[in-house]
Amino acid sequence: MNASDSDEDIYNERSALVRSESPALPSYIPDSDLTPPNGTPTKRLKAGISRRPGAAAADGGGSDPEVEAEEEELTLKYGAKHVIMLFIPVTLCMVVVVATIKSVSFYTEKTDQQLIYTPFTENTSSVGRRLLNSVLNTIIMISVIVVMTIFLVVLYKYRCYKFIHGWLILSSLMLLFWFSFMYLGEVFKTYNLAMDYPTVGVIIWNFGAVGMICIHWKGPLQLQQAYLILISALMALVFIKYLPEWSAWVILGAISVYDLVAVLSPKGPLRMLVETAQERNEPIFPALIYSSAMVWTVGMASPNETQRSEPDEEAEQSDGRAEPPSRHSRLLPEDEMEEDRGVKLGLGDFIFYSVLVGKAAATGGDWNTTLACFVAILIVCVPPWTAPPLCDLKHKQELLKTVSPAAAQRHHEHPDDSFINPDCI
Amino acid sequence: MNLERLPNEEKLSLCRKYYLVPLAVSGFAFLPFLWLVNVVWFFREAFLKPSYTEQLQIKAYVKRSALGLLLWVAVLTTWITIYQHFRAEWGEVGDYLSFTIPLGIP
Repeated sequence: MNASDSDEDIYNERSALVRSESPALPSYIPDSDLTPPNGTPTKRLKAGISRRPGAAAADGGGSDPEVEAEEEELTLKYGAKHVIMLFIPVTLCMVVVVATIKSVSFYTEKTDQQLIYTPFTENTSSVGRRLLNSVLNTIIMISVIVVMTIFLVVLYKYRCYKFIHGWLILSSLMLLFWFSFMYLGEVFKTYNLAMDYPTVGVIIWNFGAVGMICIHWKGPLQLQQAYLILISALMALVFIKYLPEWSAWVILGAISVYDLVAVLSPKGPLRMLVETAQERNEPIFPALIYSSAMVWTVGMASPNETQRSEPDEEAEQSDGRAEPPSRHSRLLPEDEMEEDRGVKLGLGDFIFYSVLVGKAAATGGDWNTTLACFVAILIVCVPPWTAPPLCDLKHKQELLKTVSPAAAQRHHEHPDDSFINPDCI
Repeated sequence: MNLERLPNEEKLSLCRKYYLVPLAVSGFAFLPFLWLVNVVWFFREAFLKPSYTEQLQIKAYVKRSALGLLLWVAVLTTWITIYQHFRAEWGEVGDYLSFTIPLGIP
């Protein structure tokens, strides 16, 4: 369908950004207006998408093109909105990291101290040797990540929840207390302020305790989001400081490859984790995921989650350990519920992107490089996590049922057809 | 966590816990930040909404948290002022207390 192809292109490049400029689009109003129980779903959806002449043309056609257009509209509309919802936290995280890198010199000072995961030094005489060392470092780091991920998946499968929770709590304790203590110390040194131990103690204690409460128990959503952004930024800063230059870039590349493999391949550990969580109808652990809205399950039989997660937050040791990316994103369109479930993104993604931009800022020195990286990440990396290919087929079916029974039926008969992206698994 | 979605009893329970935790955890309430969160988060619930049964108690907790918070702010401000002003004159004790010491000539 030519119309959909071109619309898809437009969506990927510009529409996500353009959409944010349009004021008062009907698509931003809550669900009860968007998915009426029956009646004229197509008309409402058309109203919500003011820039889609292709869809309007498809409206007059037979049931098939119309149904396809409906699905496309739904998924694209929600996708775009959620992309915007993700832009803000990712941007904030990067801003914090870049601001720190630029102002606090501690994080860009050359140090011979390295993480135990990257034992090979880069202070070698020849380029070849340095390259070899960085590749070896990467191999070690990725193996550690893979092992920890598999370990986590095994624990999850055998329901060792206590262990996992203990691990996560230890890890967030370390981040919230120790790293923020270091960070605060460095900031004070940079601005040449005097500070005494009692005050610092009170500040860090408050920050950490409220952080633990917000992340692991209950707290205001914005505060929880803020804390998750902050700890991602802290983690990214640690990586920027302690990973040697070339190793950092090779690791970044290798992690993206690993990510794809682990999530998309049928035997990938993350996919297994997600599927297990889905079978058990449980949410993934709170400390690993950034969620842009509160999940509310009133009216939903089960929280159908289309998650891709690479959860490998680990307890920090004294050197600072790798927190391999935990990538976890889903698109949950509104259904009978009032509340938009928002979209979730794994903390690993935040850290990953922030390390990228932070390294660019540290190495490059000028703002053009940094800005270019920042824009590139926002446009390239963020939208895919909210895109239709990540929809679970089953979930898509549920959604379609509310919109058009015919579409749901067709989808059921041909589950492998992906109207949006042929790579949908 | 969206407060709108919770039934009133749970709101009350949450507010109460946010008020009590600082008192319980350290015995002496070293968590003014938690009280601040309590005040800000439940402010609308307590004062700007039409009343419901539990609202009185929520109001009470919010007020007490605000009181504790004010007390703490006063104590901290006083201490910080004293410290910053007299740090150099305290000699050894001042250095011992210091987390970071500014460089250069004052």
